[in-house]
Amino acid sequence: MADNAGNSNAQKQNRSKSTNLECKNLYDYLKSRPSNLLEKLYNHPTICLAVYRELPDLAKQYVIRMVFVEQPVPQAVVASWGSQIYSKEHNNASKVLSDLMLWQEAAIPGGLLGWIISPTFKKNIKIALLGGGKTWSMSSALEADSKARDVAFLDTYSQERWECVLHYMVGSQQQEGISADAVRILLHAGLMKRDEEDGTLVITRQGFQFLLLDRQAQVWHFILQYLDTVQERDLDLVECLTFLFQLSFSTLGKDYSTEGMGPGLLVFLQHLREFGLVYQRKRKAGRFYPTRLALNITNNTNKSTPDIEDDHPKGYIIVETNYRVYAYTDSNLQVALVTLFTELIYRFPNLVVGVITRDSVRQALRGGITADQIIGFLKQHVHPRMLESEAKSPLPPTVVDQIKLWELERNRLDYKEGVLYSQFLSQIDFNVLKEYTESNGVLIWFNKEKRTLVINKAAHDDVKRFWKKYSKGS
Amino acid sequence: MNIVLPEESQQDASSAEETSLLVIILDSNPGQKMLRESPHVLTHCVDSVIVFANTHLMQKVQNKLAIMACHSKSSQFIYPDQGKHGDIRQVDGQYEAFTAVEKITKKNLAKVLTSDGSAVITESLLAGAIAMALCYIARLQRTKPPGAKLNCRILVVTGSSCSTSQYMNYMNVFFTAQKQNVVIDVCALDQHLNLLQQGCDITNGLYLKVPQLQGLLQYMMWVFLPEPPIREKLVLPPPLKVDYRAACFCHRQLIDIGYVCSVCLSIFCKFSPICTTCHTVFKMPALPAVKPKKRKKM
Amino acid sequence: MADEDNPKEYRWETGYEKTWEAIKEDDDGFLQASVDDIVQRAKRKRQTLKHGSQKLGMMRHLYLLLDCSESMASQDLKPTRLICTLKLLEMFFDEFFDQNPISQIGIILMQNKRAERVSDLTGNCRKHTKVLGNLGKTNLSGEPSLQNGLEMALSSLKLLPSHASREILVIMGSLTTCDPGDITLTIDSLKSEGVRCSVIGLAAEVRVCRQLADQTNGIYNVILDDSHYKDLLFQQVNPPPAAVCLEASLIKMGFPHQPNNEGSEEPLTMCMCHVDSVDEGSKLTTGGYYCSQCFSKYCELPVECRVCGLTLVSAPHLARSYHHLFPAANYMEVDYSSQTNVCFSCQKPFGEGDKQVYNCPNCKKYFCLDCDIFVHETLHICPGCSTNPLTFQIAVTH
Repeated sequence: MADNAGNSNAQKQNRSKSTNLECKNLYDYLKSRPSNLLEKLYNHPTICLAVYRELPDLAKQYVIRMVFVEQPVPQAVVASWGSQIYSKEHNNASKVLSDLMLWQEAAIPGGLLGWIISPTFKKNIKIALLGGGKTWSMSSALEADSKARDVAFLDTYSQERWECVLHYMVGSQQQEGISADAVRILLHAGLMKRDEEDGTLVITRQGFQFLLLDRQAQVWHFILQYLDTVQERDLDLVECLTFLFQLSFSTLGKDYSTEGMGPGLLVFLQHLREFGLVYQRKRKAGRFYPTRLALNITNNTNKSTPDIEDDHPKGYIIVETNYRVYAYTDSNLQVALVTLFTELIYRFPNLVVGVITRDSVRQALRGGITADQIIGFLKQHVHPRMLESEAKSPLPPTVVDQIKLWELERNRLDYKEGVLYSQFLSQIDFNVLKEYTESNGVLIWFNKEKRTLVINKAAHDDVKRFWKKYSKGS
Repeated sequence: MNIVLPEESQQDASSAEETSLLVIILDSNPGQKMLRESPHVLTHCVDSVIVFANTHLMQKVQNKLAIMACHSKSSQFIYPDQGKHGDIRQVDGQYEAFTAVEKITKKNLAKVLTSDGSAVITESLLAGAIAMALCYIARLQRTKPPGAKLNCRILVVTGSSCSTSQYMNYMNVFFTAQKQNVVIDVCALDQHLNLLQQGCDITNGLYLKVPQLQGLLQYMMWVFLPEPPIREKLVLPPPLKVDYRAACFCHRQLIDIGYVCSVCLSIFCKFSPICTTCHTVFKMPALPAVKPKKRKKM
Repeated sequence: MADEDNPKEYRWETGYEKTWEAIKEDDDGFLQASVDDIVQRAKRKRQTLKHGSQKLGMMRHLYLLLDCSESMASQDLKPTRLICTLKLLEMFFDEFFDQNPISQIGIILMQNKRAERVSDLTGNCRKHTKVLGNLGKTNLSGEPSLQNGLEMALSSLKLLPSHASREILVIMGSLTTCDPGDITLTIDSLKSEGVRCSVIGLAAEVRVCRQLADQTNGIYNVILDDSHYKDLLFQQVNPPPAAVCLEASLIKMGFPHQPNNEGSEEPLTMCMCHVDSVDEGSKLTTGGYYCSQCFSKYCELPVECRVCGLTLVSAPHLARSYHHLFPAANYMEVDYSSQTNVCFSCQKPFGEGDKQVYNCPNCKKYFCLDCDIFVHETLHICPGCSTNPLTFQIAVTH
């Protein structure tokens, strides 16, 4: 068993990847797009800005150093910028820049190879930083809004809209329904599926995982799925992406004009309005307010540290070392999420108390949620009081470790396909084959007394050949 | 059985999510030598500093920025200011937030420049400006939400000289910065700044004397843009040796051997019978070469 | 005798009287804000007691008398008195040398009726930390002898030059002391030598300790718990007022600088500090500090040159102590009536919640309470004064 442990882990991850929710970041998303599309995207300063922010630290420095240089820079020179000890990070940075077509190889007189920043990207990132070029499509001048909305209003509005979608997913009855369009996206994303018997919509295992993500990651994932369906709706992907990033770089609490937006974009805007990414008083109001959901849309790394000046919904969960969970909330949705992996004990108007038990966690694991997702969820919504303590992790380490152990408990058995060799005529024959397979690393199990051994199925042909040669020779 | 490695995944993502605050102190004192000779240089410097500031904001969404002007008679914050700026809209393809930084900074800087009287003060009071920046940083550290991490640094851009008259103020701000983990970077435009260089050394910051003012922006992008955690991954100019010699209180000269008052620790280059700082009378001249070993009676 | 003429009353008699009256609920019925307020006010109060002009003993020579008798094994401090003490001392030494860089500390243990010097007076913080690390393993036995300890410290402090400030800090876990002679005589000689003795008691008030501290102008306190212990210990970080018999003199010091000869490689040389040490051995290195008088090399400052006896320091070392001597002027508390809308230094907007603002007597700028505390506890210069060419040197020239 022991020597299989490392192996089994790798296998398990491979297996679970196919069924787990895949959350791409901007880099992964863009990398998988065709190169001509990338070139088109880089024509927009907003996208250049967004791409730049997602680059690794070193790559950012390289780009900044090269943006103001007109000739190609020798590769050896670029390599000498980073210190030797961190050459791995340097290679990673170079790879990302090449993957995203941000720089290209270029020959330098003298036969050296050099890097040169993509001219389109260079031009447009300079526009974003220094000015020049056209204004972004949504920033035409506006009269002051007579009924201007403040940030607090926008926050409640966007939260309501977004929770509407989530409520729909968990099937709670307390909220109004959502549009057929949104349902189609949920189905397309595999977050919900039609029940085979009665055709009603039910949440899938990916759906549960989706619910446990933090708000920003949810929005980003959802929007990515939406963008996949954009072409079917006769919308231009580049146009939509550009607009999306313009929104993400807008200022909260400020109104923007719809003037100069094409019919396609107006449709897109209405979709965003439904999910709460923008607020519009009327469909034809001529102005809209971006909400917090739309801001910094790509910044979806799982946040463990809160942002300064952050007024996101505050955390509400307290976890004690005795596995008790206190959730200060009156929202049915949040209670429903907590009950995914806890056993409820008490319920008060503004507080539920539950306890994390082996059974409750195992039930969640059976539902396809991973231990990391549970821990991640608890961490995101942890009560500010738990963050104040000096400890490195806001959650009690004993609870975190135990949840991980409960997950590992389920992976004690490790399945491998093998071929059984038995009925050897002599101990010598057995030993020869055992040694051969062992030295090749394909032996899975053997028993000396019964002269049987099991080898990896993939190696069966090779071992068979060896055995034939051996038995002929003797 | 497998062993759970506690919190292994938490480490790697941490540095990217920390907020970093950059406070830029721009010396706008018209009395500094550089500006007395060619006042238009200031425009070039301001432009470079604003672009640099915007590049800092461009690095990460969470990054924060403050700009101060250190003027002849006072220092003040010129970005962010207290006013509301909902009316600032894009004029071209520049990112709105960057436009706002540029406009607000220029507007407030103009106010500072015009408010000034005629008196020429050659030395900029940078120590005071750094002290204000430290108070500002201390407030943000106090009021940040629990669990958030805020890395702060101060960048001083100046063409002024530094004389020892501010020595004590400089040392106090450097030690405070060191205690608060604030890095002080110095970009010297005109003259070599010995005292500020000591500050960089004490707080682990970088000191750069810009060889050519024309390339100011490029120098700043190369040297000062990377944050301290990234700096160790890059090859940056090696630190110069710092001269930590003391300047005597009587003649402001750098000295190798001096006399220190046992009551107030003032430094003198020659023996004098009375301490000019604390007015203590020294009873017996200390023997020059040997440290007095025997006890003296009152 | 000491108790009768001591005007200080006991804690439970005044001070905390009717503290509950000062506590008021805020709008939500919480007390926290009110409690915070009291704590901050207490801090401010301590601050205003400090005055810059008085003469301080800056070159401190402090002997730490540490009780290592059986009583230190008691578990009323967690995990034991000794381990808790050592932890706190480690922090104390760091802070002490940070604030008093040209001062020296020595350690004497009191154990089995004997006194044992475990480290001589030195300004090297790392040496002490190492000694402390080893102390954790001492077996605690017997009774302490306060007199033996004091005598040993005194015999060493006697030899110091007259400008040095001499101090003894006793950490006493035991309630008894087992002395060979009359301790009052020892106290008298300490008094005549101008040695200031402070005592921190870990158990209860002992008369002989009270007398020792009162006679020599020291402080005597008994700890309440570990955080109070830390407070008391850290009070010792600030230099005490100069003793009456302390004589002022000018001391010759060297300010070594690393020779700045560009281009040429620095020669490999041996430093004097490691030349005869057995465990670390001496290595040939480049760089280091050269004595300004005899050019012996040392790898760290401050140090006393072994060859010519010159004290070698760097200017920032001296500068670290300046704030004790030239603190920022105390601000005056004034009622807020829209004098200004932001705090001058931190830009915090003043609003309804701010009842008081703080006004600098020199530059007349207004500050918030937090800045007031920050300026006086950490920064030590007033941001308003130091940005104004008319006021920035007031502190230096007053």
